[in-house]
Amino acid sequence: MTVSRRDFLKAGTGAALLAATPRWLAARSLREPSLAPPITDPDVKPLALLALDAARSAGATYADVRLTHTWSRSFEPFNAIIQDAEEMAVGVRALVNGYWGFASGPYWTPDEMARLGREAVAHAKANALGKARVVELGKIRVVADGHWVTPVKIDPFTVSIDEVLDYLHGLQVYTESAYPGVSANVGAGFQRQEKAFASTEGTFVTQTLYRTDAGFGISYDNQQLRTDPRQPIMLPSSLLGSAARGWEYIREAPLREEIPILMARLEKDWRLPIKPVEVGRYDVVLDAAGVANLLAGTIVAATELDRALGYEANAGGTSWLNRPLAMLGTEPVGAPLLTVTGDRSTPGALATVKWDDEGVEPEPFTLVKDGILADFQTTREGAGWLAEYYTKHGKPVRSHGCANAPSALHATMEHPPNVAITPGRADVRLDDLVKDLDAGILVTNLTATTDFQHVNGESHSGNFYEIKRGKKVARIDGAGILFRAPNLWKSLTALGGARSLEWHGAAAVKGEPARQSAFSIGAVPARFKDVTIIDRTRKA
Amino acid sequence: MRRRSEPRRLLEEPRRFLSQDQCEALAQRAMRFATGGGDTALYIDTWWSGEMRWGRNRVTLGSDRRNNQLTIRRSIHEAAASVRTNQIDDVSIQSAIQAAERALAYHPTSPEDIKDPAVHFDYLSPAIWSDRTFALGASERAAAARALIEPAEQAGMLSAGYIEVRGAGRALIRSNGEPLYAPYTQAQCSMTVRDPQGTGSGWAGLSSYDWGRIDGAALAQRALQKCLASRNPVGIEPGRYTVILEPQAVHDLVQYVVRNFDLRDIAEGGVHPFALRRDFSKLGLKVADSRVTISHDPMHPDLGVVPFTPSGEPVRPVTWIDHGVLTTLAYNREYALTKLYDNLGYPNTLSYQMSGGETSVEEMIATTKRGLLVTRFSNVSYVDPVSLLLTGVTRDGLWLIENGKISKAVKNLRFTESPLFVLNSIEQLGRPERVFSPGVPAIVPPLKVKDFSFTALIDAI
Repeated sequence: MTVSRRDFLKAGTGAALLAATPRWLAARSLREPSLAPPITDPDVKPLALLALDAARSAGATYADVRLTHTWSRSFEPFNAIIQDAEEMAVGVRALVNGYWGFASGPYWTPDEMARLGREAVAHAKANALGKARVVELGKIRVVADGHWVTPVKIDPFTVSIDEVLDYLHGLQVYTESAYPGVSANVGAGFQRQEKAFASTEGTFVTQTLYRTDAGFGISYDNQQLRTDPRQPIMLPSSLLGSAARGWEYIREAPLREEIPILMARLEKDWRLPIKPVEVGRYDVVLDAAGVANLLAGTIVAATELDRALGYEANAGGTSWLNRPLAMLGTEPVGAPLLTVTGDRSTPGALATVKWDDEGVEPEPFTLVKDGILADFQTTREGAGWLAEYYTKHGKPVRSHGCANAPSALHATMEHPPNVAITPGRADVRLDDLVKDLDAGILVTNLTATTDFQHVNGESHSGNFYEIKRGKKVARIDGAGILFRAPNLWKSLTALGGARSLEWHGAAAVKGEPARQSAFSIGAVPARFKDVTIIDRTRKA
Repeated sequence: MRRRSEPRRLLEEPRRFLSQDQCEALAQRAMRFATGGGDTALYIDTWWSGEMRWGRNRVTLGSDRRNNQLTIRRSIHEAAASVRTNQIDDVSIQSAIQAAERALAYHPTSPEDIKDPAVHFDYLSPAIWSDRTFALGASERAAAARALIEPAEQAGMLSAGYIEVRGAGRALIRSNGEPLYAPYTQAQCSMTVRDPQGTGSGWAGLSSYDWGRIDGAALAQRALQKCLASRNPVGIEPGRYTVILEPQAVHDLVQYVVRNFDLRDIAEGGVHPFALRRDFSKLGLKVADSRVTISHDPMHPDLGVVPFTPSGEPVRPVTWIDHGVLTTLAYNREYALTKLYDNLGYPNTLSYQMSGGETSVEEMIATTKRGLLVTRFSNVSYVDPVSLLLTGVTRDGLWLIENGKISKAVKNLRFTESPLFVLNSIEQLGRPERVFSPGVPAIVPPLKVKDFSFTALIDAI
């Protein structure tokens, strides 16, 4: 008998722990690319149901089970480092008298399914001895058998290592030989995650999700050209980042066409005089990358409902939007031209799924409407917390599909969906915003750090330029912005148009134990008035 | 490494993580799949974690999680590559080995593999396993959480917190060296108590390998008292203040100094907080107040760590800063081989102990004309990694001290300051105590420091 993972589906934990197959047996499957059964294999569903049966028999009023199988491969061509990783997991969540229990492990075996089902219920029951707690799960459309795959043109795991390395290395060689003194940095990583979800309500869905992370940037390698060896001018390509796409994301990006444009910018930049920062209030234009970063650190984090209600108080913190029911529909969080939407169906965006980790099919929703707080990010339990507001306004008490976990080893919790700023009506681009600036500051690639309520922040990095009569006249050294989120968003005076919309990858960490989730932010360049510019390195 | 007697509870079935025998058997199987000669090493972290989380005075999730993290490293001649998996069946292991061998073909020479690392070392046996931690089951954790919530709820406040107990094994098994295995436990407990109106917040937390060394009831009282005393804060002007930093606040800053005890090669490359100039480090120079000694003794009952590194180096007692003088910087094996003609890297586990004094926090307050008492810092990030300039915010309790007394709760402030400046501006030191630092134990004193730089008022509570 060949012991493969497929047989594991039928074997017990003992076999999993002690499997010591003679090598000649295993050698048969030497060149099979996929060693575990694909998530669509008919054996997966009965396996998942074993966990639900065990949870139900042990007394769960509701239970769900997730199976995940994750492959990742990363390339660091400069050091010729290629690293593969694989993780399989199963996690069972059970509800008893309003209390949740969760159990997870790495083995996809029938014994483990049953053990985890029982274990999750045992945890829920132990908690349920406490004071009463009510959980109302938002409505769900049950999908009995669904399957979905991130639309990708080329599965990156089917592309040979040689092809990827050659391509990345080629970009580097091309850039560095065409532009002596310039260094090019490239890197790439791929992930494929297969996942199954089943619940006692009858949902069974499977998905295969892809993600590609890629970076390309250029900088001058010549010490004499730099003012400060610690802060060389680095120009990243705007064409690459993180996206729910395949190998085509890198292969089809017109990087060679972009390189001369980046080079022209780089040369213009280092010819600019360097000025020390003059602290004060300025009109500031941010590029789409900076707006995306600010949005992720402020409004996106602050509209996580669990955070707003205090469930995250002991971890990442709470939110300045801390009275959801009182603030919804009335609280101003930005200028009237600010509208922000959440959506887990945007093609190519990192949080895009067909069903979330509770089996909910997400729909687009509006977080901020014309500058007013309109909604929060929710799970099924979270939707219940806002039932009063939804019912009063004739809206369904339904999850926005924000339940998520990096793998089945982790329990699900509310994580940000893809979030986008609605672009301005006029066809305005970054250059137009800069041209209209008589005197002010342009900041590109701004990143910011905030506090534990995501309200007060300071920029962390970014390239600052002095603008006079619509032109860059100097680089500003050591500058930063200091802001209070609602004030900053209220000072928004102009937004780029639809053609200037860019999607940027973002990540957020929350929970105990901490876990990270990925999402995409759609942002346009923007202009703000009276922004506080500080000298970042100056002490009090 | 001598085989340790297995902890009693490990013998109970079903096992919650892989035993030494299982890890060794797994490695033997893996090594049979290796082709093309060379060496094979398996670094394994196999763990069970029991967790309990609550928010708004109710338990929100109790969980039990288990996993294995295997890093399989293949090296042939002078090239090396590794692959990660969490599966332990033959097909998975063989497939992982093949992936590592495939990657190996692309790798250039790695100086780390110039010499054979298989030398016999004497490894220490720190205190890192606690039966009490491993035995804390779901119902005990639930009962503990209820007891911790109780005082806050009775006072009309909202408690959110987390308890985690972990039992794990770490193994390094090499085709060319003795097998290493160490079972260890970790426990942590922390909570935040908030006023329902959001006008006050208090925090307390502690971690240890031993659940029995965490006094939950004391933490619950402390978080509650801090919450009650921090309500309705008033705003004060940012600027330079004399600060009294509680041990946790000191740890939130000094851990950045400890992280930078790493990589002597960078220090000597010229761009590093402990670089003097190009090619010279500050080793032997005074970098802190003479009363400051930062060291780590893995045999200290509260500072135990797994006694070997992922590459098999023994963890040894170390003094990084001795009475203000920088005496040691860590380096990796590559540095040892190429610069020191030695076979052994000098690891930094990040676990540390900082010397203190005899002044209590109460005495520090009583001798302060005007200053601030800081519970802890949050959202800390680098402004300039070279000068170790950091920014971050105070959190969960900040009070103004006037004429030797706490006069009022004040709104949180953003700071822009270097921990090296702090270590050179000390007025008084208190008795060192354990702080919340899961997995990397630390013992830190409270400090009174002058001219600490606060750069902005923030209104987050």
